[in-house]
Amino acid sequence: MFKAKSILFFLLLIWCSLPLLILLGLSFAFSWTFPNILPRYFTLSHWGEFLFRNNNLQQSFFNSFTISLVVALTATLLGFICSRWVAYHKRKNLLLILTYFPFALSPVIFAICLKFYFLKTGLAGNLQGIILAQLIITYPYATIFFLSFWNNMIKNYQNLAYTLGSSSLFTYRKIIFPIAKSFLLTCFFQCFIISWFEYGLTNIIGYGKVQTLTMKVFQFIGEANIYYAALSSCLLVLPPVILLWLNKKFIVYQNR
Amino acid sequence: MYLKVENIVKAYGKRKVLQNASLQVPANTTVSILGKSGCGKSTLLKIIAGIEQQDSGNIYLNEENITTKKANRRNIVYLFQEALLFPHLTVFENIAFGLRIRKQSNDHIRMKVNSLLEQLEISGEALKLPDQLSGGQKQRVAFGRALIINPPLILLDEPFSSLDVETRATMQQLYKSIANSYSITALFVTHDLKECLIMGDSIAYMENGNLTVYDNRTAFINDLKTGVKGEINFWNTLN
Repeated sequence: MFKAKSILFFLLLIWCSLPLLILLGLSFAFSWTFPNILPRYFTLSHWGEFLFRNNNLQQSFFNSFTISLVVALTATLLGFICSRWVAYHKRKNLLLILTYFPFALSPVIFAICLKFYFLKTGLAGNLQGIILAQLIITYPYATIFFLSFWNNMIKNYQNLAYTLGSSSLFTYRKIIFPIAKSFLLTCFFQCFIISWFEYGLTNIIGYGKVQTLTMKVFQFIGEANIYYAALSSCLLVLPPVILLWLNKKFIVYQNR
Repeated sequence: MYLKVENIVKAYGKRKVLQNASLQVPANTTVSILGKSGCGKSTLLKIIAGIEQQDSGNIYLNEENITTKKANRRNIVYLFQEALLFPHLTVFENIAFGLRIRKQSNDHIRMKVNSLLEQLEISGEALKLPDQLSGGQKQRVAFGRALIINPPLILLDEPFSSLDVETRATMQQLYKSIANSYSITALFVTHDLKECLIMGDSIAYMENGNLTVYDNRTAFINDLKTGVKGEINFWNTLN
């Protein structure tokens, strides 16, 4: 029984990791043509160029990282504050409908609707504009995410702390934030991943002037440059894998 | 009078929860308020604690009008039905919480917390987290957390309602002995008739937002609406 389970787990592991391993292999490959099963030879030149030379791919990686970090941090903080207000509001249901509004349209159609306003305000084609556009998706997502956190129990904790003499700041610092830690981390990770993989909205609002990693992947695929497409895909997968590992380390184990 | 509550009115929409509720509590005594669920007794306590806002009426504590004071400035501790121990803090840190707010020295905190832990008979649990404690132990910690700041008034909102009969009786005795040794002034809300008689030095009854305060125990027992007569008749019938 145990052996069968191990074999099944092993097969599942291979099935999940095979695409990633092929991508990784492809990023080190040189001259891999049909009908060869393996590339003629492997090279470090693609990775070397990315790591040590000032190039577009490096720039797009940092663009993506900056955008995702700012978007995830801002959405998590704003969502946390705003969700409390929504959760305890008399017209919670109405506010909740409004919160869901950005998800009623697909991000691309939504971006086209917003394009005019971004052009008028000079936010189209730059980093700030893309951050703002992505926040329009991630901020309501974070607000909805935190709504379940603000239940009666949390309200009672807060009230109890106040009657013990605690200020709002002290209550948040010592009680609310520590209790919400796993919620905050999960929301941050999820917003980061949403932003990291975002393509349509970024492409339309960014006008192609701000190159992110997802756009680079599409560009390399369009050029049939499979080695660089594989390299940029590996880079695209890297942060989510790290976040999954952090999630396991800090949230799953902590909650056990 | 140490606590004076005057004509408190509170409504949620069209539903009136409290209608001119007035009450006086002398210093170092416990007044118990008996009432069915949803009659407005918890709302009254929350208004006194400052975590709910009344529509009209005044509250005086030691002759100071505290009606508009914020909850964290009133120094009145509210004990909820559940112990509500902060889940990420140990028993020691839960009890020390009030002193940490007041920025007391670590030595002072250690001395006071250890002495309270001993008095509450939970010295061995100091380093445990709340989810490692029994219901009775949690309530002891909640008491300790309230007592350590020596509040002028404690409001107890059915704190033993979730405990089993035996633990409940133990906690009632523990509260009585602590109330005596700390000269506590308290309002104790319950829907349990027996508990109401055990805990209160004087008694009030609340029904549909109307509060009746009795001069003595006999007046409370003789009032048919309190249900004491019915209870006595029930036990007599069994005999």
